[in-house]
Amino acid sequence: MREPNAVDFWRGFALITIFINHIPGNVFQDYTYSQYGISDAAELFVFLAGWSIGIATRGRDGVPEPAARTVLRLLSRMVEVYRAQLVITAVALAMLAGAALYLDNPLLVEWHNAGPIFSDPIQATVGWVTLLHQLGFFNILPLYVVLLGLAPAFVLLARVHLGLALGISAALYAVSLVFEINIPSWPVEGHWFFNPLCWQLLLVLGFAAHEWRRSSERFLAWRRRLMPLGIVIVLVGAVLSWFNLRPDPLAVPEPRLLFIFDKSYLSPARLVHFLGVMLAFQAVFGLIQPRARWLTGELAALGRNSLAVFSVGSVASLGAQLIRFWTGGGFATDIFVVGCGLASLSFTAWFVEWRSRSPRPSSAA
Amino acid sequence: MALSLSPSLLGGVSLALATCLALPAAAQAPQAPQATQAAQPAREPAHAEIPALQATAPSPDAPDPSLSPECRVPGSKLYTLAKLKAVKKALREHRAVQVLTIGSNSGGLGTAATYPVRLEDALTRSLPDIEVTVESRGVSGEIAFGAAERLRNQVAEIEPDLVVWQVGGNDALARVDIEGFSQSLAETVSWIKSHGIDVVLVDPQYTASLAKDDYYRQFVQAIQKVAEREQVPLVQRYEAMRYLATRAISALKGEARGDTAQSGAGFRLADLGYRCMAEHVTRAITVSLLQPDVPVTPPPGN
Repeated sequence: MREPNAVDFWRGFALITIFINHIPGNVFQDYTYSQYGISDAAELFVFLAGWSIGIATRGRDGVPEPAARTVLRLLSRMVEVYRAQLVITAVALAMLAGAALYLDNPLLVEWHNAGPIFSDPIQATVGWVTLLHQLGFFNILPLYVVLLGLAPAFVLLARVHLGLALGISAALYAVSLVFEINIPSWPVEGHWFFNPLCWQLLLVLGFAAHEWRRSSERFLAWRRRLMPLGIVIVLVGAVLSWFNLRPDPLAVPEPRLLFIFDKSYLSPARLVHFLGVMLAFQAVFGLIQPRARWLTGELAALGRNSLAVFSVGSVASLGAQLIRFWTGGGFATDIFVVGCGLASLSFTAWFVEWRSRSPRPSSAA
Repeated sequence: MALSLSPSLLGGVSLALATCLALPAAAQAPQAPQATQAAQPAREPAHAEIPALQATAPSPDAPDPSLSPECRVPGSKLYTLAKLKAVKKALREHRAVQVLTIGSNSGGLGTAATYPVRLEDALTRSLPDIEVTVESRGVSGEIAFGAAERLRNQVAEIEPDLVVWQVGGNDALARVDIEGFSQSLAETVSWIKSHGIDVVLVDPQYTASLAKDDYYRQFVQAIQKVAEREQVPLVQRYEAMRYLATRAISALKGEARGDTAQSGAGFRLADLGYRCMAEHVTRAITVSLLQPDVPVTPPPGN
């Protein structure tokens, strides 16, 4: 088990933020940073995933591992994430259907895009298993599956030249934005909530940031110098968000996605805001670590086990929503559901590490 | 606002529109349009170009015979009306009408066609000679927390003439603050209208287990208030389904089938709600199109 570090800490922070934001209407939502900026924890999560790929594809000595091993490692992770997505979607569907039966409320089987799975099961079963149909709030892992599928290409390109990987990634992003290219959803018309063709840029940026941090003094110097700019961007984002100021998507010039604030396509404003957040808060872990080791330890434990924690968090946030609906919500309910949810995230992280430490039963058992 | 059928009030409706609406109105509506605000029997002969309007209006509380038997609901329980200027303009210009539906696309269990397909068929039948295309999008999340922003982007992507929006389901289940929801809804509706795009709202479903839920009832009322304030037609799905539920219970009692027939009644009603939605929405649209262009001047003394 590695010591707490900034990447695990921030990933843990993103996981908690996503969990709370996935219980819409709860009182704690107003205190998450997503309410005070244009970008949110999803950007942080994907950027750090790219950073982690940088760490994972090098040996302890910092030498890049063989290409074949990198490809297999990333594809194996992709399968793991896909499996997690299937499991949590199946559990979520059963929770919605079970609650609908128990509460005699057919509206619940319609919640979060679940409707077609019950009303049109033949097509929708193919849809959700192929990730073309996604439940509301269950759309980050499908993005991650595609990003992990693309990652080997970018990592290997970066070994030729990091600029090449970044250039291709930025070009793919720009083309997808300008021509509004996204993966379609099916059987319901529409597109993926997170467009992987755009969000891949953030993954590659995270990977590149890790590579530069290892080898470039200039990167570290510029990162420090640009911190005030980051703070200005964060303040501007807070003002825009607070006063709900945003471009009118029907009044901006073409190509409109360049100018509006759009989460699906990771529009440039969101990207710039997120990079500003990274610059502004780069020193925070170093400040907190010596003063609140229990906090950094807890968050880093969540971050170290992000897939399991995210999966449990997704199911727990849906459970919390159902309880809020059933009880009518309120402050006490929010404290209860968010408290139980955070405890379950923490337990998950502990349990996964306990399991990996404990001797496994033999396969014959 | 009284919906009068006199020629003066229909004066703004062009000949082209009248021609467009003549056949479907005759097929769909052998009576005058009904509105909850006011549905008065025609006292004068109506505009010659709209033969349907020559029929006598039944009481607004009588089930609308133009709807298929299983979906038959009185107009007063089905819709409130308002003008649909953009669609009317498209009809006058004889150009294709593009509709964007937001929300569930269910057409009912085991049905061959989804709701957007049924809506396209029903609108095409009602507006012959005019090409109607229906695109649909689901919106996950809550209007009060970010979904309104995504909806704006979807509207900008499609640039339709009309948005038919099943609104409020996610927000009501998430028990969001009603005031915040109303404000966000009103802003979004106002924004869509400001770009010359029509809006028809469809309020959330009725189900017996929520009939005594004060929050849910207030939530449905909040949507009605926004529709009234923003002057957009509203398909009162809650009221219509409640009416259908009452009718179904009476029928069961009549057949004396006992309690077992009641189990799963909520799910069957929800299914019926989806089966009827395309018809109900189409009815609200076609009747709203008959709204006069010129503002109604209240009689002196009112």
